[in-house]
Amino acid sequence: MAASAGTFAHDVEDHIHPEPEGFIRKYIFSIDHKVIAFQYFITGMVFFAIAGLLAELIRAQLLKPEGAIMSNAAYNGVYSLHGTAMVWMVIIPLVTGALGNFIMPLQIGARDVAFPWLNMVSFWIFPVAGAILFASFLVGAPDAGWTEYPPISLQGPPGTTLWCVAIFLIGISSTLTGLNFMVTVAKMRAPGMTWTRMPLFTWATFATALINMVATVALSGALLALFLERVYGVPFYDPARGGSPILWQHMFWFYSHPAVYIMILPAFGVISEVLPVFARKPIFGYRLIAFSSMAIAILGFAVWAHHMFTSGMPPWLQLPFMVMTFLIGIPTGVKIFSWLATLWGGRLHFSTAMLYAMGFLVTFSFGGITGIFLAAVPADLHEHGTYFVVAHFHYVIGGGSVMGFLAAVFFWFPKATGRLLDERMGKIGFWLFFIGLNGTFFPMHFLGLFGMPRRYATYVEFAKTLPHGVAQFWNVFESIMSLGMVAATALLFFNVVWSLKWGKPSGMNPWGARTLEWTISSPPPYYNFKKIPTVLGLPYNFDQPMPYRNLDNEQDPIPVPTTLAPPRTPVPA
Amino acid sequence: MAQVSRPAKMSMGPFFWTVTAVLTFWNIASAIWIAVTPLDYLLPASSLNVTDRGADIDFLFRFMSIFGNAIITYVTGYVIYFAIAFRRRRDEPANSVGVQIHDAPVLEFWWTLLPTLLVIALAVMSTRVWYLVQYGTGAPAFAVEVIGHQFNYEFRYPGLEGSVYDEMHLPAGRPVRVLVSSADVLHSFWVPEFRLKADTVPGLVQNLNFTPQVPGTYVIECTEFCGLNHSEMQARLVVDPPAKFEAWLDAQKAKAKSAATGAATVDLAAGNAGAGKLLFAQKCAACHSVGGFDQKLVGPGLGKIFVDKAHPKLVDGDAPTKANVAKIIENGYNGALGAMPSAQQNGLTGKDVANVDAYLASLK
Repeated sequence: MAASAGTFAHDVEDHIHPEPEGFIRKYIFSIDHKVIAFQYFITGMVFFAIAGLLAELIRAQLLKPEGAIMSNAAYNGVYSLHGTAMVWMVIIPLVTGALGNFIMPLQIGARDVAFPWLNMVSFWIFPVAGAILFASFLVGAPDAGWTEYPPISLQGPPGTTLWCVAIFLIGISSTLTGLNFMVTVAKMRAPGMTWTRMPLFTWATFATALINMVATVALSGALLALFLERVYGVPFYDPARGGSPILWQHMFWFYSHPAVYIMILPAFGVISEVLPVFARKPIFGYRLIAFSSMAIAILGFAVWAHHMFTSGMPPWLQLPFMVMTFLIGIPTGVKIFSWLATLWGGRLHFSTAMLYAMGFLVTFSFGGITGIFLAAVPADLHEHGTYFVVAHFHYVIGGGSVMGFLAAVFFWFPKATGRLLDERMGKIGFWLFFIGLNGTFFPMHFLGLFGMPRRYATYVEFAKTLPHGVAQFWNVFESIMSLGMVAATALLFFNVVWSLKWGKPSGMNPWGARTLEWTISSPPPYYNFKKIPTVLGLPYNFDQPMPYRNLDNEQDPIPVPTTLAPPRTPVPA
Repeated sequence: MAQVSRPAKMSMGPFFWTVTAVLTFWNIASAIWIAVTPLDYLLPASSLNVTDRGADIDFLFRFMSIFGNAIITYVTGYVIYFAIAFRRRRDEPANSVGVQIHDAPVLEFWWTLLPTLLVIALAVMSTRVWYLVQYGTGAPAFAVEVIGHQFNYEFRYPGLEGSVYDEMHLPAGRPVRVLVSSADVLHSFWVPEFRLKADTVPGLVQNLNFTPQVPGTYVIECTEFCGLNHSEMQARLVVDPPAKFEAWLDAQKAKAKSAATGAATVDLAAGNAGAGKLLFAQKCAACHSVGGFDQKLVGPGLGKIFVDKAHPKLVDGDAPTKANVAKIIENGYNGALGAMPSAQQNGLTGKDVANVDAYLASLK
């Protein structure tokens, strides 16, 4: 039997199972990847709102050098849960669970993921883990940051144990989703969709799934050990009893650096889909972008210790990690340049999704450059543990993952619901978010370099080292600018709810896009594809007829954007 | 077959070379500016070269800022330029497409090669500085131990019995090796003006090698979360001219000697409850509340220590007098209720002990 793509694909209509009936099977314990994607989206956005409010509490506290609103103990809990929730309960579930689940099976012409029941289980672990994490506020929230370095985390409040349990659970969810997506991409592509005809978002999801499956296990091991040490006193990490605090750091970052790529690779995929569609131009360097996703995923396993240049690992070990980190910057840089070249000579339509994608190019590049600053060992001796690091990763995660995610929301919302999000609200939201993000995080680079350490509930001593209340001024400035991101998020929530009811109907293919999901109705039917299509080529040649045969619906041979501003005057054909 | 509206010809875009020239000119101008002007807007006291290694690290910052600025300028500049030059005009049909090119191998070769060369250069320069920080220049170095505690620093000097707390002194112009370690949890030793940092790890000693060059007073900050009062964990670092440093070290030695022979006595009656309250908040409150005995944080509550009828004896079995309480503060405690560091480990002077004692006595 040929082991090519499509071996497991259902080719005949009579293989279609009936849609489940009843509210619970349809919307609660659903096994439909699209419903599960919605569940991830809604749950993730609720946690996003909570973690975002925690961020505002941080900004409120830093309005005064001596701390404006809360005690050290409360502040430590707030920033720890902000970081933990944003990484594990917001970004990772949103970009893998929500985007990956909704888009990837549609893009490869599959009727669902490979293991739909497993997918349902993966999702239902997520809200449980989130509830456990936030419940830690009731018993004393973990206070040692999202990294929870021992030995201090061994002495942490009782909530630290709940933290372990919550992250362990979400790790299981991630591993299962990774396994599920890898099998789905490997085995369930439509006939004719070879690896080098795969859409770039699917490539990114595949690379992400690989990391999820391999790296998360290390974190689970580390968490189990921390749990055993906290609860039963098994000495893994406590140096007073023969444990090693550095061991935790290695195991933690062996997961958590690849986790950065779990967060950013799907955003890379989104950008690679959005830019060509709105530039009406093929993606520049398809193979390089696809393979560099895999290169990043694999190299990403060999750079973790660049988080540990000051931690006390053997000094010689710092050099290979510095060099590997520089190396991983190169495929990333190549991607940025390829996206830029995709714009070059295009016909740019400025939809909200496109604005977010272009904003991503600027803010993510900036975060990438400061990444090089941090990778150089001697420079990192100055920057480590300061607001420079905080600025860097908020540019990468906020300006990269979140901007990519927001581009995806505006791009695929019409496919998911059949209605467009309101573009005017979207554009106002984009500018609020873009300006708010830069205003909040840009000054942090300077505060960090001038001596402001992160995780400080008060910064009285630091403020004294700068003249004329400069330190406080910039902290107040950042706090004010952060309200821009709050407003943008509130506007997005409103836009989503408003557009579900009153949004403009989108039709099948509002953007004139060419991947498979745009060849079926919006929202897609329960079975996605009644007939499994055959793929003849890449989906990025905007002057060619669509590269598919055997489609369910009548198509424009060359689809064009139908929903954007029409020509002011009719143009003779 | 459907038609698309193609661009008339392959075009780099209007004013492409003009824009490129402007961006390049801007990058060259800012490269020169970054290279020759003091970096004090980016890094504290950069023009003073406070330490030799700090100056090396500032040079790395210069190099990275030059090419970082260039890359950001090109990316942002072209994003804005493309947005203007290649926007779809209102009078263009919806089916117009861009230039259908898929790649340009020559361009890709260069934009892969140039960043690669830059990071290779950076790696070579970084390795040199890394070696000097880790292993020193080979000149004999003056070794000082730094030990992190919750929430202060302890410093040990060669030839000095006992330790110095809260204020570190270093000689200017002499190679120094700072040996960094911890007594309890992770902390960090960072002096922003020195550009050098190492985490203090219990059971492990890390090295920082450098020569302080400019006398002055600097701040040591903890940058690794270490507990409730992490934000308040700082110490002073004084770089003295060599003669002044020797005088300071001799004075410390004399002080240690007199302490060892018991010459220093604590005048408990002179304790100031107000000063003691501040000290208590800094040094004791992480483990002790001012409630009753049962209001434990790490150790018992101390609010009723002199009047608690349920606990008429102190932990060491003595009667609750001011002298006996002072003895526990002075010597620390290690027993059934846990472990408490001594006054010396806590960085408390004899006067501080008297003040804390007076404060506790004032609580009824």
